[in-house]
Amino acid sequence: MDKDYFMSSGIIPPPQPLHFETSMPNPWSSDQSFFNPNPSIIHQFPHFDSSWTSIASSTTAAALAPPSLAADPGFAERAAKFSRFGSRSLNGRTSPPPMSRGSNPPAAELSTPPLKPDGSPPPRNRNSGENSNGESSVSDQIPAKMNSRKRKAISRGKNKDDRSNSPKEAAADGSSKRSKQSENCENEEECNKADQKPPEPPKDYIHVRARRGQATDSHSLAERVRREKISERMKLLQDLVPGCNKVTGKALMLDEIINYVQSLQRQVEFLSMKLASVNPDLDFNMESLLSKDMYQQQLYPLDSSIYHNQNVQHQHLQGTTISSVDPLPLDASLGIDGFSENLPQFPAFTEDDLHSIVQMGFLQNSVQNQTSNMKVEL
Amino acid sequence: MQKSSSSALMVKQEFFTKWKKGLQIYSAFNKEMTIMERKRAIKLSADVAIASTRSATTQWSRAVVADVSTSAAGAARIAAEEILGRKLTERRKALASKKIVRRRRKAAARGVVRSSAAAVAKKRVRNRTRVLKRLIPGRKKLDEISLIKETLDYIASLQVQVDVMRHIAAAAETMHQQQISF
Repeated sequence: MDKDYFMSSGIIPPPQPLHFETSMPNPWSSDQSFFNPNPSIIHQFPHFDSSWTSIASSTTAAALAPPSLAADPGFAERAAKFSRFGSRSLNGRTSPPPMSRGSNPPAAELSTPPLKPDGSPPPRNRNSGENSNGESSVSDQIPAKMNSRKRKAISRGKNKDDRSNSPKEAAADGSSKRSKQSENCENEEECNKADQKPPEPPKDYIHVRARRGQATDSHSLAERVRREKISERMKLLQDLVPGCNKVTGKALMLDEIINYVQSLQRQVEFLSMKLASVNPDLDFNMESLLSKDMYQQQLYPLDSSIYHNQNVQHQHLQGTTISSVDPLPLDASLGIDGFSENLPQFPAFTEDDLHSIVQMGFLQNSVQNQTSNMKVEL
Repeated sequence: MQKSSSSALMVKQEFFTKWKKGLQIYSAFNKEMTIMERKRAIKLSADVAIASTRSATTQWSRAVVADVSTSAAGAARIAAEEILGRKLTERRKALASKKIVRRRRKAAARGVVRSSAAAVAKKRVRNRTRVLKRLIPGRKKLDEISLIKETLDYIASLQVQVDVMRHIAAAAETMHQQQISF
């Protein structure tokens, strides 16, 4: 088969997760419910994407406390659209959606006759061509169209390799590509009825067609697939990271992402320190009763607001000494005003601890309240 | 939409129960802990708990567990094992250094200097991806595509972790204030 034309991708292939709803050794068997979000919208998609949309929609939607209910459906749809975009782009982008192109359907109809005398396509290709929603049928017609004069009717999805081949070769190539295309469309959610007896396993390959006006060697195709995967994932990330919507370009978005991850990690450190200081014993049962509504809504300001505040403050923190540190807005938003009362139990910190805590910025009160009977932890 | 938020809630609950489990083990081990020990206990339990919600399907969760298994001792190890529900295996750190050497050599081989705008942008992107890689646990094996995927998962998990911890901290805060005012 023309392996050099189609490339393999080393990442998690979409077809496998797409059989998710039927039967699959699900690694998250215990957590299956988590990764089975809204089935009406998202169940067809690779479950990785669906889990992201669920997480994205839940966390960010939960973050918008008052408008949460209003924003949720819209956000879920947007997130679903993103994952739809993601999964579709993997397989569907290469063959143009026939509904969107007015010229294509008539071209498709016209070229069906030329297809029939072509070579001997296996019967399953016929089935897949008929059963799918027209997408693979259009792409089925495309190799045949190269031979006909109807090139101009196709605005996208042309296959330049076929043009260069002789008609006979094109027929053979077309059938092989059609067979691969049928396997390709098996990956799509619409092709449920496609036959499952391909000679090669459809799992490991992502099949791409060259677009009009683009280079068709395997390297650039692989490049293009890779780039599109990356961009679609970056879009998902944009939803997850607050404040990323206005930013375009990989470098700036990566910047935001890095800042956000750092801020989240710092928050974890800070919160664990705070919890350690507040509780003499590590028992959080009472707190869990108090904060039962953590499971319903978020009591405190957005992740994003705290994150941005921290970001701004972080600039100031760079060159300051310990004594002159201003409390971060984080303090106020978390209600740490009463924090200094807990400090009689605060031990003296070592230099490293101090530096790490300065970043959190809550040391200003504690430096004064040191007791002598606590050990210094090195 | 309700289902996705409920699934996030389930993750939160799972994280919380696992976290508490780890903390219980810690407190069973030493009754008296300094504040730094407590902080480390809290953080480690939280990290292992949130990593275990992924059931070792992502790189970063595996890396977190591996880090814990190499560097944890005593109560930490047992807490982690309890949370995960399985034994931690000893791991060697020697393999990591070889990979670093290989990377250095590859980087030195390319000496072409390009000053076009696209090249500058690419270099910037590459630097940033490297930084991002360092932030996310379990770095070296990730290429760009899976890096972004891991980042997605990691950010979502971190958000869950921070959310739960913040609620607990706030509740503990108010409780403590009430106790003091009595």
